[in-house]
Amino acid sequence: MTAIRLEGVTRSYGAVRAVDDVSLTVNEGEFFTLLGPSGCGKTTLLRMIAGFTDVEHGSIWFGARRIDAVPAHRRNTGMVFQSYAVFPNLTVAGNVAYGLRARKVGRAETGARVARALASVQLGALGERWPHELSGGQLQRVAIARSLVIEPAVLLFDEPLSNLDAQLRTQLRVEIRQLQRQLGLTAVYVTHDQEEALAVSDRIAVMRAGRVEQVGPPEAIYRTPGTAFVAEFMGSTNMLPGRIEAVDGAEIAVRAGGAMFRVQGAAGTVGDPVLLSIRPETMRVLAGDADGRSVTEDGRSVTATLVLREFLGPTLRLHTVLPDGTPLRVAALGGQEIRQGAGGALLLGYDAAQIILYPAS
Amino acid sequence: MKGIGGLGAFRACVCLAALLFLGVFLVYPLATVLLASVRDPDTGAWTLAPYRQIAASRYYLGSVGNSLLAGVLSMGFVCVLAVPLAFCLARLEVPGKPVLLTLASLPLVLPSFVGAYALVLLFGHAGIATVAMRDIGLPVGSIYGMPGIVIVFTLTLYPYVLMPVMAGFQAVDIAIEEAARNLGGSRFHVFRTVLLPVVMPSVLAGALLVFIEALENFGVPAVLAEDRPFLALDIFKLFAGESDSNPGAAGALSVLLVACTAGVLVLQRRWLARRRFATGARRVPPPIVLGRGGRIAAGVFCWAVVLLSVLPFAAVLVISFQHFRGPVLNWEITLSNYAALLRGSYRPLWNTLLLASIAAMAVTLLGAPIGYVLARHRSRLSTLLDIVVTVPFAVSGTVLGIGLVIAFNSGWLVLTGGWLILSVAFVVRKLPFSVRSAGAIVHQIDPSLEEASINLGVSPLRTFLTMTVPMMAAGLAGGMVLVWVTVTSELSATIVLYSSRWRTMTVLMFQSLEGTAPGEAAAAASILIVFTALPLLLVYRLLQRQGMGVL
Amino acid sequence: MKREGTAMRMGLWLGLALAIAGQAEAAERRMVLYSANDDTVNKMVAEGFTKSTGIAIDVVSTGSGVLFRRLASEQANPQADVVWGVSSVLLKDGTKYFQPYAAKDRDAIPAQFRDANNLWIGTNLQILVIAQNTKAIPGAEGPTGWGDLLDPKWKGRIAYTDPANSGSSYVTATALLSLWGGDDAAWTKMRALLANTKVLNRSTQVFDGNGSGEYPLGISLEYAGLLWAENGAPVRVTYPADGTVALVEGAAVIKGAANPAEAKAFVDYLNEKPTQEQLLRATFRRPARQDIDLASLPGHMPALSALKLLPYDDAKWEAARRDTLAKLKTAIQETR
Ligand SMILES: Nc1ncnc2c1ncn2[C@@H]1O[C@H](COP(=O)(O)OP(=O)(O)O)[C@@H](O)[C@H]1O
Ligand SMILES: [Mg+2]
Repeated sequence: MTAIRLEGVTRSYGAVRAVDDVSLTVNEGEFFTLLGPSGCGKTTLLRMIAGFTDVEHGSIWFGARRIDAVPAHRRNTGMVFQSYAVFPNLTVAGNVAYGLRARKVGRAETGARVARALASVQLGALGERWPHELSGGQLQRVAIARSLVIEPAVLLFDEPLSNLDAQLRTQLRVEIRQLQRQLGLTAVYVTHDQEEALAVSDRIAVMRAGRVEQVGPPEAIYRTPGTAFVAEFMGSTNMLPGRIEAVDGAEIAVRAGGAMFRVQGAAGTVGDPVLLSIRPETMRVLAGDADGRSVTEDGRSVTATLVLREFLGPTLRLHTVLPDGTPLRVAALGGQEIRQGAGGALLLGYDAAQIILYPAS
Repeated sequence: MKGIGGLGAFRACVCLAALLFLGVFLVYPLATVLLASVRDPDTGAWTLAPYRQIAASRYYLGSVGNSLLAGVLSMGFVCVLAVPLAFCLARLEVPGKPVLLTLASLPLVLPSFVGAYALVLLFGHAGIATVAMRDIGLPVGSIYGMPGIVIVFTLTLYPYVLMPVMAGFQAVDIAIEEAARNLGGSRFHVFRTVLLPVVMPSVLAGALLVFIEALENFGVPAVLAEDRPFLALDIFKLFAGESDSNPGAAGALSVLLVACTAGVLVLQRRWLARRRFATGARRVPPPIVLGRGGRIAAGVFCWAVVLLSVLPFAAVLVISFQHFRGPVLNWEITLSNYAALLRGSYRPLWNTLLLASIAAMAVTLLGAPIGYVLARHRSRLSTLLDIVVTVPFAVSGTVLGIGLVIAFNSGWLVLTGGWLILSVAFVVRKLPFSVRSAGAIVHQIDPSLEEASINLGVSPLRTFLTMTVPMMAAGLAGGMVLVWVTVTSELSATIVLYSSRWRTMTVLMFQSLEGTAPGEAAAAASILIVFTALPLLLVYRLLQRQGMGVL
Repeated sequence: MKREGTAMRMGLWLGLALAIAGQAEAAERRMVLYSANDDTVNKMVAEGFTKSTGIAIDVVSTGSGVLFRRLASEQANPQADVVWGVSSVLLKDGTKYFQPYAAKDRDAIPAQFRDANNLWIGTNLQILVIAQNTKAIPGAEGPTGWGDLLDPKWKGRIAYTDPANSGSSYVTATALLSLWGGDDAAWTKMRALLANTKVLNRSTQVFDGNGSGEYPLGISLEYAGLLWAENGAPVRVTYPADGTVALVEGAAVIKGAANPAEAKAFVDYLNEKPTQEQLLRATFRRPARQDIDLASLPGHMPALSALKLLPYDDAKWEAARRDTLAKLKTAIQETR
């Protein structure tokens, strides 16, 4: 078990700052995910930890040991690649034994550990197979076994599931998570898929343009995104540009999309442009009165026009537009009955505490 | 290179070692020769006079123009011929494909001056074929001048495009093709809009080689130019002619040649940098089934092109069995040329095989790591290396040879007079080929394989040796054989560097042809062809079995 | 790992082969000859010399231009002992590479065919001739002198070696310029001549081309014409009625040669009467020494005294070489 500490780590390619002054701590045994859109520097950061990319400024520590000047092959990390990188010229068992051979582990012990590792990824019977005889999911299992078997200080994953189909993806991510927990290894996991990140991580760092935008447990990241970017990236939130109309203590009235939202937030000034983050699942479809007026017990509701409805099984996704035409997505439970057809008016209620206000920048 | 010790150090070591090697054996020798173009021979002062003279001379401008024209035309014709041929051989069912493939790489084997000589015997003013065709009333022009040179270049250099493009067509993922067909494209439309763009980088790389070879080649214009000036010829005359020695002007022309080559290389790189078409096919695409008419047409086309290109071989073979009295050809069949050759020493054959083997091995050992680093790593150092390593493409063998003699005949490192200097010359001359072919192979290997190995605790050097090299092996073997074959037909540097003990087959051919024994020259060429065609054939078999068409 | 082993074994094997190759001819006396003569000649002389002296010869043979580039490049550590078969023009220019040696039979060779300081010595003479392919042009219809070659009817039918690549070709051109007066009128005639020629890159192309009928006429050398004619080709050698030039080819001992004694023995051997007769028989080289009866030997060459020899100002044309060649080049370009 090893903690990882990054201090002011920076790396640029020409004018591009691929990783820009990143400081992070990954705790012992933690499953830590780097999440962000493509090109934000996740891979670069991970490869700096693995030793494949130079650190320009800053330092990387495994526990008390500074490792950013240690050659890649002496860092004792176990990396799983997006492209599997299973050696085509070795059998499955040969692949898994590769790192043990490099560590001069005895023959008998190697055999036993390889067998155990293969069994742990459910490939116990396939040791003598050649890589070209395996499917993508099996190949990635081989790669995982190969990096587990050396008992690395840290496990590194670079989008290990993105070449697999959806079902296998969910299945394998559970297995990865369980293995990591069983072995108590510290893991850094790179992905651009927020659902995957939310599902497996102890903590997540959301990255944007080389910088860390927010670090926290999945729930915190999801519920209380620190920035508009995180909010937008983390879920299919509705981002509505608006303007502050009135400030009344902790309550702020914002005009957005041709409707008035009353939300809670830090004090702003009347006239400031802002962004409202409204998650689809935080809106409720209310049974409005005949002329569609906004009537709720606390008056927190808006009217919208239904454009399209998508039935997704557990949920029902409603595509609506606000009075000035701004689109707004609403998620209702699949069981809820909504009579309106396309073009019909909907009364949507919201919880002021669930709408997050960001300054527009 | 701070930080990643192993990996960076390995790359830096390769770069530095390669630059050191090239600095000592390429840049330094060339500088001893080419500096003559910017030094006044009497005062030693810096001058640009030779360049001014060239710019002011209609003759030399004409010479540059002719060479460029021949290069461009050959390149164009080669593409027109080789791309469809590559498509046919890669994707259609053509009868006798293995034989065709072997025959198609033979043009690389024959020294160009022998091929040109044979063609003159066939198609010269009084050539056998010319006379025969005139007798039956076909008025044929002469093979001399621009048309002849372009034809010979086209027919001898087309393998440079054929081989990589064939590999390219085989590597096209059929999914792309099917997608395009599915979108309603006709076959030809798909070829033009989908397949062609995908193989374009290979076409370009091959065409570039053709252009450079045509620019630098000396043997063909020497025989066929009649009175048109050509750059490579003029460089030779100015350097080592017995009458018009002018190292300043020769140096200036050489620099010009290097500049032309470097120019096109840079253009090609620019173009390639913006495109990446590697599609990584998992399945070898199945042959396209044609109707009867199409099959016959494709077969006729392939066989016609290939047979045309081996015509000089047929001529050489026929001549080797003719009786010569002194230099005079008497149409009588005889084995006397072979007998005369066999009575002489076997050393030239032995030397050729030995030197070619040494050079091929050394060049592969050197070229593989360089090609690897250049393909995997971009830095200022590697860019510099990339540029330096392509210079030998553009330097004529004569110039390099003279430079090596001046540099290594005395002083701290003496190499002249033995096999070592010949090997060095061959290695330097063939290094760009080896580096490029190694680079092409490396591009096909997923870099994360090596990273996985390093990550698992194996040092970069060991990873390269035990993981990358074995994966490159088949491709490297192909490249090595190609180098081997082309070294056996090298003349221009050999003639400047050889010592009597290290006379090679090409020197023997050259001397016999220049002297009074063209029959022996032809016999020697025939023997050399046999000795070089066999390994070629074997390699093709091997590569085909492994499903690799790459050479 | 297996791979490395293989490479290593290959390396060992190669090293062994090289060692054996190097051993083979160690003990005996040897010398290195740089020769611009063709292979047949080299072989014959080398064998004869070895037979008579026991000294083995390593021949390096290629064009004289390349040989002199090698000599120049190797000055600090000469690789050759003797250079042979190159024209006096190059020999005169290259005296700095030679050491003096007073060859044995040098008195048989007229003074104008050797160096006053014994730095080089003539071995044979090249006579400029017109070679005519009688299959293409019946015997009597051919030209009899240089002047005839200006006739436009020969346009494109005369092969001529590029004077920028051949010493003898340069001499031909400059001798004719002298013959024609050396002035603008001479250049006009020269242009008329060049307009009729195909300018080829190497002299062998002229000889072969003329012998095989590629080019009906060739501005050629005596030995080449005779070589083809005497071997059965339809070639007729015409000594131009308006005069010709005798070019000297010779040999020299290299300064700093590793085997000076062997080198000197070889130069002596070259000019021995039997050697010269043997060379003439086999390849029609006209000896530089004048005490050999040519009429009784194959080729039946006319004696030097029977030829109309033009005066040729070596020094003048040597000094004017670069300019004249440039002018010739331009003339060739303009008459294409
Ligand atoms: N070897 C490289 N050379 C130049 N630019 C690079 C290189 N690697 C990454 N980059 C750039 O750095 C940025 C971050 O890349 P990367 O770390 O791969 O992003 P991610 O993995 O988050 O998609 C991108 O803009 C990318 O173009
Ligand atoms: Mg990435």
